Amino acid sequence: MPSDYSCLVHWILFLPLGAAALSALLLRKQGTLAAWLSTATAFAIAAISFNLLRHEGNVTWHVELAKFGDLSLGFGYLIDANARLMLFVVSFVAAWIHLFSVGYMKDDSARGRFFAGLSIFMFSILGIVVADNLLMTFIFWELVGFSSYMLIAHYFDKDFAAAASKKAFITNRIGDLGFILGIAMCLSLYGTVDFAALKDHAAAAKTIPVAVGALLMCGFLGKSAQFPLHVWLTDAMAGPTPVSALIHAATMVAAGVYFMARVSFLLAPDVLHFIAISGAGMAALAGLCALAQTDIKKSLAYSTLAHLGIMGCAIGLGHPELALMHMAMHAFFKATLFLGAGSVIHGCHHEQDMLKMGGLLKKMPLTAATFIAATLSNCAVPFLAGWYSKDAIIEAAFHGEHIAIFAFLSLAALATCLYSGRMIRLVFLGEANSEEAKHAHESPWLMTLPLIVLGLVYSVAGGFLAHSIIPASSLQPIGEALKEASFHLTAPSTIVGLLSLLIGFGGALKFYGAVRGADALQVLSPRTYHLLEHRWMDGLYRWYIDSVQRRIAEFVAFLDLLFINGVAVRWIGGGVPAVLGYLTGRTFHRGQVRAYAFWIVLGTLFLAWFLIAR
Amino acid sequence: MDTFPATLLQIAVTAPILIGLILITGRNLPRSFASGFAFGGFAIPAMLGPWLLLLWCTPTAPAQFQSAGPWGFGFALNGISAPLLAMTALVGFAAGIKALTQEVEARNTYLGLILFMLGGTLGVFATNHIVGFYFFHEFALIPTFILTLFWGGEGRRPAAMQMAIYLTAGAMASLAGILIALDASGLSFDNATFANLVEALARVEHLPAATGALVLFGLGTLASLFPFHSWAAPGYTAAPTPVSMIHAGALKKFGLYGIIIIGLSSLDITGGRLGQWFLWLAVANVFIVGLICLVQRDLKQLLSWSSVAHMGPIFLGLWVCGTSGKAEGLDAAVFLMVAHGLSCAALFLLANAVRTRAGTYRLDELGGLATRAPILAALFIAATMASIGLPGFGNFWGEIGIFLALRAQPLWLQGIIASTVVISAIYALRAVAATFFGPSSEALDKRFASAPFGDVSWNERAAAAVLLGASLLIGFMPSLITRSTNPLTAEITVHAQHAAKAPAAEPVQR
Repeated sequence: MPSDYSCLVHWILFLPLGAAALSALLLRKQGTLAAWLSTATAFAIAAISFNLLRHEGNVTWHVELAKFGDLSLGFGYLIDANARLMLFVVSFVAAWIHLFSVGYMKDDSARGRFFAGLSIFMFSILGIVVADNLLMTFIFWELVGFSSYMLIAHYFDKDFAAAASKKAFITNRIGDLGFILGIAMCLSLYGTVDFAALKDHAAAAKTIPVAVGALLMCGFLGKSAQFPLHVWLTDAMAGPTPVSALIHAATMVAAGVYFMARVSFLLAPDVLHFIAISGAGMAALAGLCALAQTDIKKSLAYSTLAHLGIMGCAIGLGHPELALMHMAMHAFFKATLFLGAGSVIHGCHHEQDMLKMGGLLKKMPLTAATFIAATLSNCAVPFLAGWYSKDAIIEAAFHGEHIAIFAFLSLAALATCLYSGRMIRLVFLGEANSEEAKHAHESPWLMTLPLIVLGLVYSVAGGFLAHSIIPASSLQPIGEALKEASFHLTAPSTIVGLLSLLIGFGGALKFYGAVRGADALQVLSPRTYHLLEHRWMDGLYRWYIDSVQRRIAEFVAFLDLLFINGVAVRWIGGGVPAVLGYLTGRTFHRGQVRAYAFWIVLGTLFLAWFLIAR
Repeated sequence: MDTFPATLLQIAVTAPILIGLILITGRNLPRSFASGFAFGGFAIPAMLGPWLLLLWCTPTAPAQFQSAGPWGFGFALNGISAPLLAMTALVGFAAGIKALTQEVEARNTYLGLILFMLGGTLGVFATNHIVGFYFFHEFALIPTFILTLFWGGEGRRPAAMQMAIYLTAGAMASLAGILIALDASGLSFDNATFANLVEALARVEHLPAATGALVLFGLGTLASLFPFHSWAAPGYTAAPTPVSMIHAGALKKFGLYGIIIIGLSSLDITGGRLGQWFLWLAVANVFIVGLICLVQRDLKQLLSWSSVAHMGPIFLGLWVCGTSGKAEGLDAAVFLMVAHGLSCAALFLLANAVRTRAGTYRLDELGGLATRAPILAALFIAATMASIGLPGFGNFWGEIGIFLALRAQPLWLQGIIASTVVISAIYALRAVAATFFGPSSEALDKRFASAPFGDVSWNERAAAAVLLGASLLIGFMPSLITRSTNPLTAEITVHAQHAAKAPAAEPVQR
């Protein structure tokens, strides 16, 4: 019989909220204490989540917070196999990133704020995972956006961080606008926002309106940085590196994927098709763009965009369980990559330009080993974590006979190998290209331990370990995914993968070794490099904001001033008496207050009358 | 004999007025005496308001806390006025703390007038009588004009004049509407309680067409309904901060309260052509005023304009309640009225804290203040997030409830209305970034060198904590408000349906 563990879920959800409140209110100046409090909380949650994995069966728990009319504002949990897996992935990765942050942020003066931010983020993301209805999902969805905003703005005295935080929040809100309308539409069509009830309704209905899925998808586009709302993610790298690892690689952006999987029954075929195409296109494009970044974090950010595209594509292909599996695998290896980048940045005295690195393999062996392991997983080397999930999705595209999608995904696989090889070549091989890189040093254990745990254990051996510890029911999504894929060494995806590895990874290692201190592609073909580097969508949005939105707003403000404030009130109030005054010989002249008042009252009444009785 | 809660209600309204009277008559009272008295005047309602709300929600509460007031009309609470009264009391307290720390000329008169303003606003929510409603309404507005005119900032004369004219015109229009309604209903002034009026009007077959319009646009002017909003932004901007807080936070809400309790309940304001006008003007409040907010370059003006824009969803909540026959829009609208009062007052308070430090409200001269005043920045960001509807704060429930209540409307219309979540985020975060983020501005550095300033003071912290704490409390426990509003909003929805159906029934009778 399934046990009721909703009590454990309360702890998972409210421990971080308590930690955040305590840190923000009382530990602002005790940075070390705040850091360890937050980290201890994260590990406690990870332990509880791990415990949950060993429970069987779904748990639901619901309470009504209030009522607006007959509309119930509910708060509750729906813990199924997907949720348990996601809880574990999020909390486990987060716990180690917290530990890493203790080391990385050691000299930061605002640690209290930083760790309070991390804890409030944990509260928000875990809330999305456990939520049992759309409204509660939306609540935590918004809170995730807020915590992301605060953490990106950590270095708020820098203009770029201020701009990036604002951009992230607003872009997310554009997606949320669609999300709200989607919730309203669900409520209007089915009379409920509860996932379980919605599922029943969807099963009973023959077709689901396209609009429902399309609107809910907007939330996903924003949060998971999918085209055309992807522009905020690369800028979000302005935050401290652990934030990039936790929020903008492993968890927050994955929340969109998780949510789409959770409401997959509400997505009409047209919506799925759009997600698949745009996801695959995004994967290929972002992978190529990663080649034209010299900032190590930005390059990784494009890599995240590519992987999010792949996950979106899996959902679109009708395989949400594959998407979740890739989300889990990606969380581990991308967190490792970001933390590795953080360790490199820390070791190179805050140098982020890859062209100024080089030869770090010998100076930072632990970081290098874990980074390379995670990179290979990223490139889907057979039997590493990334291989299981990514190739399964490519295989699914092939079997689904979506040739365009398959082609895009193959291109994405090639691009992944290219930028991975380039990164390894520029950062770890060759010789040091700057003073900083020459004097690089390995990071302290607080930072390397998480790298080792996340990188080696999970990028490489996670799959094998998982089977022996965790009951099959909790790993159901992954089990199903693998069963469905059932690929073998002569499958198209494997061939594509191996070819990409050979051509892409090998080629990149050789190609980028040719020029020292500069990007080989930029030297060879500056035009191609610029094409990939230039941020076309940002340019488009910039143009829209400056030339359209602002002008419209200014025009409207001008009209308001001229017609409503000026003509309708002042002119009727001031102009009429002036004319009358002229006609009647200065009766109303001199702008006496009483006359002025009288005419404005009359003008207002006239306007009101005009509006009503016309 | 009055019941205990009824006595509390009387005290909550009369205490600030009486203390205000003492301060105004005793202009030469020593400073410490005056401060003590004034503090009492602000603190007593602040304790009694929330207490009354809690008492109101207990099932054994005596009917309506009714009593005969000292002025001949009755005092009573209802499910909608109880939370509004509590909110007003808290906003008044925070404004009071701010006022007590200000150095102004004729301080006792200043404090006394603010107490009058507070007492009048509390009175509007504490009476159940039309005469009481208008009496307290004027009682609150007249000190507002005087305070703006004599203690206001830049541009105070035209602003106060414009505000006085608009609000008087609005009051006159609504009074005309109510007099027509009273006449039609055959009620005498003595019996003109809200309940009697609604009951009597339900029996009236045919009301003059303009009645609803006069009430809606008249009271709408008080609540800055588009296009009768021109007074609001300059009025709030020019007023001294405690006055802006009470006015934009609490006092303005009695226009909305009147529309609910008189207009929505008994005059078909959401049906027919008037209903169409109501809808489109409210949408203009959301969208057009939202766009106007985008071009503001002065922090206080931005807050003033955004406070006008935030009235849009509230109007829409009322509108949808009348047209859909469901109470959810009204519940959410009342919730947003309470939450907006708290967040808006907090923003005016904290913006003033910015100004006392940086010496300006101009966004292009501000910048990088978070480095020098981190707690001020944190509080300001919290208040901003509250005002743009971040979950956890009360405003969220109000906004989302109204959006959901509008679900039967065409999708594009819902889209325009819900676009406020994006527009408000743009202008609010732009203001936060321009004020607090980035490197410290040159102007700020110069000012800091000549007159070093510290982080937000304990007074300001306490005042902001009261407002934001209350907003968080209702954000986490929305039932604190809805338990009070639910029964009454359901009742009003039935009345609204009745009022709307009356004309439709006419042809059948013929």
